Amino acid sequence: MTDQALLDKVLAFAPGKVAVEEYVNTYPALRVEADALHDLARFLKENEETDFDYLMCLSGVDWGANLGVVYHLRSTRHGHVLVLKTQTPERITPTIDTISDLWVGAEFHEREVYDMFGIRFTNHPDMRRIFMSDKWMGFPLRKDYQASNPLHLETEGAYEDEGIRKLASGKGKDETFIINFGPQHPSTHGVLRLVITLEGENVDQVQPHCGYIHRGIEKMCEHLTYQQIVHLTDRMDYLSAHINNEAVCLCVEKALQVEVPLRAQYIRTIMDELTRVASHLLFWTSFGMDLGATTCFFYSMRERDHILDIFEETCGARLVLSYVCPGGVMYDLHPNFQRRVKDFIREMRRRLPEYHRLLSGNVIFQGRSRNIGVLSHENAVSFGVTGPSGRASGWHCDVRKQDPYHVYSQVDFQEAIRTEGDVFARYMLRMDELETSLNIIEQLIDQIPSGDYAAKMKPVIRVPEGEYYQRVETARGDLGVWLVSQGDKFPYRLKFRSPGFSTLAALPHLCHGFKIADLIAISGSLDFVIPDIDR
Amino acid sequence: MRGLKKYLSGLFQGVRSLLQGMSVTGYHFFHPREIVTQQYPENRATLEIFERSKGELTMPHNELNEHKCTACGICQMVCPNGTITVLSKTEQNEDGKSKKVLDRYIYRLDQCTFCALCVKNCPSDAITFAPTFENAVYTRALLTKQLNKEGSKLQKKS
Amino acid sequence: MIYDFSKLTSSLDQLLLSVLPPFWVLLVEALLVLIAGLAAFAVLGMILVYMERKVCAFFQVRLGPNRVGKWGTLQLIADMLKLLTKELVTPRGVDVLLYNVAPFIIIMAAFLSFGALPFARGLHAIDFNIGVFYLMAVSSLAVLGILLGGWASNNKYTVIGAMRSGAQVVSYELSVGLTYITMVAFAGTMQLSGIVEAQADGWFLFKGHLPALIAFVVFLIASTAEANRGPFDLAEAESELIAGYHTEYSGLRFAFFYLAEYLNMFIGAAIAATLFLGGWMPLHIGSWEAFNAVMDFIPPIVWFFGKTFLLVWVTMWFKWTFPRLRIDQLLTLEWKYLMPVSFFNLLLMTVIILLGWHF
Repeated sequence: MTDQALLDKVLAFAPGKVAVEEYVNTYPALRVEADALHDLARFLKENEETDFDYLMCLSGVDWGANLGVVYHLRSTRHGHVLVLKTQTPERITPTIDTISDLWVGAEFHEREVYDMFGIRFTNHPDMRRIFMSDKWMGFPLRKDYQASNPLHLETEGAYEDEGIRKLASGKGKDETFIINFGPQHPSTHGVLRLVITLEGENVDQVQPHCGYIHRGIEKMCEHLTYQQIVHLTDRMDYLSAHINNEAVCLCVEKALQVEVPLRAQYIRTIMDELTRVASHLLFWTSFGMDLGATTCFFYSMRERDHILDIFEETCGARLVLSYVCPGGVMYDLHPNFQRRVKDFIREMRRRLPEYHRLLSGNVIFQGRSRNIGVLSHENAVSFGVTGPSGRASGWHCDVRKQDPYHVYSQVDFQEAIRTEGDVFARYMLRMDELETSLNIIEQLIDQIPSGDYAAKMKPVIRVPEGEYYQRVETARGDLGVWLVSQGDKFPYRLKFRSPGFSTLAALPHLCHGFKIADLIAISGSLDFVIPDIDR
Repeated sequence: MRGLKKYLSGLFQGVRSLLQGMSVTGYHFFHPREIVTQQYPENRATLEIFERSKGELTMPHNELNEHKCTACGICQMVCPNGTITVLSKTEQNEDGKSKKVLDRYIYRLDQCTFCALCVKNCPSDAITFAPTFENAVYTRALLTKQLNKEGSKLQKKS
Repeated sequence: MIYDFSKLTSSLDQLLLSVLPPFWVLLVEALLVLIAGLAAFAVLGMILVYMERKVCAFFQVRLGPNRVGKWGTLQLIADMLKLLTKELVTPRGVDVLLYNVAPFIIIMAAFLSFGALPFARGLHAIDFNIGVFYLMAVSSLAVLGILLGGWASNNKYTVIGAMRSGAQVVSYELSVGLTYITMVAFAGTMQLSGIVEAQADGWFLFKGHLPALIAFVVFLIASTAEANRGPFDLAEAESELIAGYHTEYSGLRFAFFYLAEYLNMFIGAAIAATLFLGGWMPLHIGSWEAFNAVMDFIPPIVWFFGKTFLLVWVTMWFKWTFPRLRIDQLLTLEWKYLMPVSFFNLLLMTVIILLGWHF
């Protein structure tokens, strides 16, 4: 269906309540009255022709006079995208109907909007703050946020928390065995806190508590120029730092309609894939550690170090690269780059079978990962679990194939897909992607054209007024950047739809009924990076 | 009978997979040449440090104790974290014209995120990142550095 | 001929008897044995910890400790000093008595088994005629310490760790016991020195061929599990339970748990060496007189430690290769594989003994 046909259809569904948005925009957009939102959303999801089953992004925004919520919907079957924009009538007690009954993944996103903007979603099953504590004053992403929240050193009793009270109230209070995994726990890979109720060894409920390293990157971005924002995105999903950088740069370039030189595109693509390899190697490392096979750690760290050397030689940094800038890349490739990359590919090809012999084939490992934490295709879409975890459930969600950027459309590669959806499939999918990435790099490494490595940009970038959305495929999935500009040198609102946040929402669903050890395996196989969740 | 066969084949395949894993670790045990540990302070002399490594910001001076910084302040403006403070003073040159020159170039290493925007945006290539990495000190105050040397002057354009 | 340490000990006994009344002699001898035992215990513990670190490092393409002393040999002294000087933290809400007793129970259980090991001919603290039975009895005491420590710590992680350990040790004791019985049936004695002497013309592993081999493998797995070593370290499972049952212990109390774990590993390997690889008995091959004579030149104590450390190395190899089992896999392995195999094996062994099919 063309965009126009789609718009006509929606306009016919709710006449008078819907209007076509006239802003410059990446996707067709509609302005919806708040009271018509839920009905329209249901129509869009359940109608065969529209079939919007994937909620790409749900963002709050402060428009000044009132507060808004913006929904980016995508159909996995038809591939079309629609943006719904709605506004609350006022900003004292703003309420909007929840859509978490239609898209399960919306539950977490709506809690984030509540936390940051104070919009209450009616009929939401669990309307609590998600990052900030219950006692936090004010809603940080509102433009008029002035509240000061002095740090109190007295400990907050564990049972004071509303969420834990809720968990404990399920059965007789004394019978529920509640245990805290984290915020300091070796297997949460950072400061994530999972509150778990146990029945013996079996996990009953899991309640993620995030926000321990929330730095308010979205708020900080509203006071930084576009060049400066780039280096902040390094600090979200630090394992795909380069790809995060790109997301912002691509968004800005799209808004400015800048043509990025071909050489820069090649460089970016190769760097992308190297980042992905490094990230998946780290996954292998930490996953082995989670399951108690400590030796994995050192073997793949050894290979990953080669990539970090390549990065350091060209970008000057090993982890937080900051190598991309709007218009291209910061500096040209180091002369040794191609040779080193080829050496690395050879080395990696030699090592990969070793990895499989050490861990993948191991009977204990198979026993611990097969048929554990099965995520169905339907649930993966509904939760918005993208990236390798989504593809392991048979969902073709690779942004590199769906919305190709850079030179991905010219590269010959297969999107790795597995259909089992269990821990083992998620693990093997990442191993498959390692090989895919190596193949992509191999195709490009000798083809890098000569020419400029960056387009000429103005020293102060002012993005024209409008709203822009850009997706990239990080090592963890679909990273969306939603940029609202009012023609200033700072963005008006910059929202990161991080893959980890949606994936985390699926964790409680996956873990129910499995053992404690399985919880570790499942959370390991989803491959979280906590700063990516907390931003 | 089929159950027994399955049981036994499962047993043997399991044992085989375990032995395969042990062969990998065993190989590495008996090949200590492949050990990748670098013994850091001892290998300082042979340590490979890439020239582009962003260790800390420096301002190169030539042999006449001259630098290239014109105190324009662009680096201070583009820095996202307030790492750089450029303090300038006005000086009279030979012609009697007053001119803005660099007084002190303050760099706070403890705030720097190494995004290299300052170096990239510097119009006169006065600053650069040096690949030094042994920056540990005992007090934070020592991380606030003055990059221009005492008595240094602006390098004349050739 | 192999030197008999009992000559040394009995001459010492005679010497003491000539100067002291019998009661005092007994007391002095007991003290001497205690001191020797404790010293051996501590030294062995340190060697094992150092070995574990180095071996694991080499499996993992690293160098391991290499800062304190040449090749890091003094690292253990430094560690020991650190552990000794650390504060003994007693968390709020613990059961003070049980919390303090638990590390001693564990170390005591290890020490009791240690006393029965025959290091060389005549070199053991006590040589029961029911030595194997005694070993079985005392080695199952350790789980008591784990359960008490985990429970008394007043921490949810330690409780889970302790419960896991309880289930694990009780299950694997069965296999260990069955393999003991298999070998006792073969040797015809429960006395450890007798078992070693019976292997003078060939180790049981070779003499008993198939059933002995099966018993050896089963014993190796089960004793690793009983010592809570990886891949059966569910009770500690650092990626799940932080440190399991000893999460709340610090300083010397933690050192006790730590030491006991390594010594249990050693004891397991030592028993395996005694039952299957001839203990301190040199490698003898049937009628190769010259070869046997050469082998006899190597002192028996070297044979004993050589075999034991070889087996310790193998268990380390297991630990640093495999992922950890899940609790239900662990129990499946025991109840569905090891125990039926052990029963079948016992039967096979009996048949072979009755038919005289062994060497």
